[in-house]
Amino acid sequence: MNIINLAHGAYLMMGAYLSYVLFTSLHVDPFLSVPIAFAVMFGFGFLVQKYVINFVVRAPMLTTFLLTFGLSLLLVNIALVIFHGDSKAVAPAYTGSHFDLGPVTIGWTKFWTLLVALAVTGVVQLWLSRSRTGRAIRATALDIGAAQLSGVRVANIYAIVYGLGAGLAGAAGVLVGLNQGLNPSMGDPYIIDAFVVCVLGGLGSVQGALVGGLVFGIVEALGSQFIGSGLQDAVALGVFLIVLIVRPTGIMGRALV
Amino acid sequence: MKAARAGGITGSPRAALAIAALLVVALGVPLLHNGYYENLVRGILMFSAMSLGWNLLGGYAGYVSFGNVVYFGIGAYVSAYLANHGWANVWVDVPAGMIVAALFAILLGLPILRLEGHYFGIATLGIALAVQELIANTDALGNGSGLTVTQAAWFSQYYYAMWAVCAYAFGLTWLVATSKFGYALVAIRENEDAAAVLGIDVTRAKIAAWALCATMAAGAGGVFAFSNGFIDPPTAFGLEDNVFPIVMALLGGVGTVAGPVVGALILTAINETLWSHFPQIHTLFFGVVIVLVVLFLPRGLLFLAGVKGGWRGFVRGLSAYRV
Amino acid sequence: MSAKYLSVDNVSMRFGGLLALDGVSFEIERGSIVGLIGPNGSGKTTMMNVVSGVYKPSGGSVTFEGTRIGRVATHDVCKLGIARTFQVVKPFVNLTVRENVAVGAMYGRYGAKRRGSAAFARADELLEFVGLARVAGRPASELTIPDRKRLEVAKALALDPEVLLLDEVMAGLNHSEVDEALELVRALKARGLTIVIVEHLMKAIMSVSTTVIVLAEGKKIAEGPPLEVTQSPQVIEAYLGSRFAIRHAAERARSALRQAQDDISK
Repeated sequence: MNIINLAHGAYLMMGAYLSYVLFTSLHVDPFLSVPIAFAVMFGFGFLVQKYVINFVVRAPMLTTFLLTFGLSLLLVNIALVIFHGDSKAVAPAYTGSHFDLGPVTIGWTKFWTLLVALAVTGVVQLWLSRSRTGRAIRATALDIGAAQLSGVRVANIYAIVYGLGAGLAGAAGVLVGLNQGLNPSMGDPYIIDAFVVCVLGGLGSVQGALVGGLVFGIVEALGSQFIGSGLQDAVALGVFLIVLIVRPTGIMGRALV
Repeated sequence: MKAARAGGITGSPRAALAIAALLVVALGVPLLHNGYYENLVRGILMFSAMSLGWNLLGGYAGYVSFGNVVYFGIGAYVSAYLANHGWANVWVDVPAGMIVAALFAILLGLPILRLEGHYFGIATLGIALAVQELIANTDALGNGSGLTVTQAAWFSQYYYAMWAVCAYAFGLTWLVATSKFGYALVAIRENEDAAAVLGIDVTRAKIAAWALCATMAAGAGGVFAFSNGFIDPPTAFGLEDNVFPIVMALLGGVGTVAGPVVGALILTAINETLWSHFPQIHTLFFGVVIVLVVLFLPRGLLFLAGVKGGWRGFVRGLSAYRV
Repeated sequence: MSAKYLSVDNVSMRFGGLLALDGVSFEIERGSIVGLIGPNGSGKTTMMNVVSGVYKPSGGSVTFEGTRIGRVATHDVCKLGIARTFQVVKPFVNLTVRENVAVGAMYGRYGAKRRGSAAFARADELLEFVGLARVAGRPASELTIPDRKRLEVAKALALDPEVLLLDEVMAGLNHSEVDEALELVRALKARGLTIVIVEHLMKAIMSVSTTVIVLAEGKKIAEGPPLEVTQSPQVIEAYLGSRFAIRHAAERARSALRQAQDDISK
């Protein structure tokens, strides 16, 4: 929707900490926290968009960028105050267990993480393409004026989409926290990566995001193998630039309006 | 050049003159022999230079860069590297850093400045992160542990060096804003297609603006390496150094000559107050400040003075961007 | 044969699967006013974009006084002496009207030799000419539609062109405003400019053009003096459909027959 959201990492972090709190105090399995985190973060994102970001939605991009940056600072620092800066972990009983698939050993946690990620993506894609709201969203993305004339409550659509993004980030955060531990700045690397993946796959295409994520993951893995693992960001940028210059619409996307 | 209306594209010649006067006064700070004030004002000068740099490309040409800190870092590392290899002279190292940064900008500008607004912004951010990572993996530049810089006996020379960089940035911005080149940049910002049809070589103009902007940030970084005595990747490419100059320009007035400096003054004042009273959560308050500035001063203080209709006009202006 | 001034040679323009222009050729003589008309989607604006160098043609070429336009960078086209207005006007909204025009004077054909103050003086001259002197100090965002169109023309004139391409300048104007616009066009011709006008308004084109070229579906279907072109059956068919064309032809045949019968009976 043409909003660059720098608070994305913060939402991821919030989702992760939510699952942490649920796990340590109520012993809720982290995989069950995924839909909970999604719902909570959706609500949060919806409110943030409707009552804060909505004020500057049509301003130049710089404004939304700085606004979401400020929000991110706020949220990360609140987390810092509440949870302190040290790393935490969410470690249910089955952590570390694995199964063998031929010559390859696969951790159960990672396996389920993959399935859940795929499931979530699939549900979102279905909802976006089939539901009435989904159609409204795509209409608004193409032409705000026309959508408004057709009766779409654009302010709400923006809020829903933003909430969706936040919810997904929160859900992802649970998975990341489960696999890699938590700390208040855990979301930082994902902001850029998320954008790169989207561009790679094609802005506006959900399958594209999936394909983009896959391709990106592979490129990163290969990159760290051959060039050295410290250079992940450089690799990310290199890929991003090449895609932008060679094929701005991404692997599967239509051009950004 | 006599501009069409009061200020032309300088924003407010009166404010610019006031800032120039302040700059002259600032020359006297080291004579107070007060370390705290010297550091404080040197910081203001540093951020002013960086903000003025960002403002040239972002405010005047409309190409919002979120990775200008990369030039700050380049300037810092050039200084540190030269200092550790027998050239520990701030007056030589800083210009060297500025030249390197300008070359970097020109090289990078050719592909990157072709990108549309959103993409350009993210690409610049990515570049900053990538360069930071590259340096962190380079032995000759100290890897992740950084480089130390031996400081000369006469410490105040670094204040004067930073002053020189800031004066350079300010003077250059003023020159651009009162020349044909300034109008070329503004034309690009307003409507790039129309600008090209009117005969402006937009690619050359954008690259020139970015190169100049790079020299300003690199100058600041180059002096910083000396005044700080030490740099490492997080210090040289810190996110704060990246974002604060932008917020300062926004606060003071984007696309004006005096705006960035005004913003730097105010924001530093706020920062110092917060730091001394709420050390724990001062970054948190900064987040609040940024949010408030963005919501209520979308075009900066210098434009506030020109808003018609008093309070109601102000509030109406705020809702202009709503959906 | 005299040297060609501005010639369009077999120009084709393809956008992906769409052939917007298909082998169009015509000559423009110095000092003439050429009207370019055609139904919606016929390729008029595409043609303008090709002639002004905004698009490079997929086939064929446009040559102005010996220089191939397609080979020249967008910002160098005005240095050759060709200027254009845009159908969707592109003012610099945050600059004043005077500044808008001054930018053109700074960077146009003679811009390099002009200092800033000379550019502003030239801008004032041009604003006087198009009738915008009264709003010279206002920001461009405050202008009415007809004034915005005037501003577009003034900006183009600031480039000191020999050839001026006007793309649907009269769209959205009322009767009296159209008349004023036509006066302006005639005044420009008197100054020695060669003008190409793309318009929907038939009356406007007919009253002011020396030659009219008609495009339909990317092809040139007629070229000639205004009156001749409007009588051409292909043109009528293109604009009004084949049923009307047939009816029209039938009408003409009937009246020709009546005329013949009258002649015989005399």
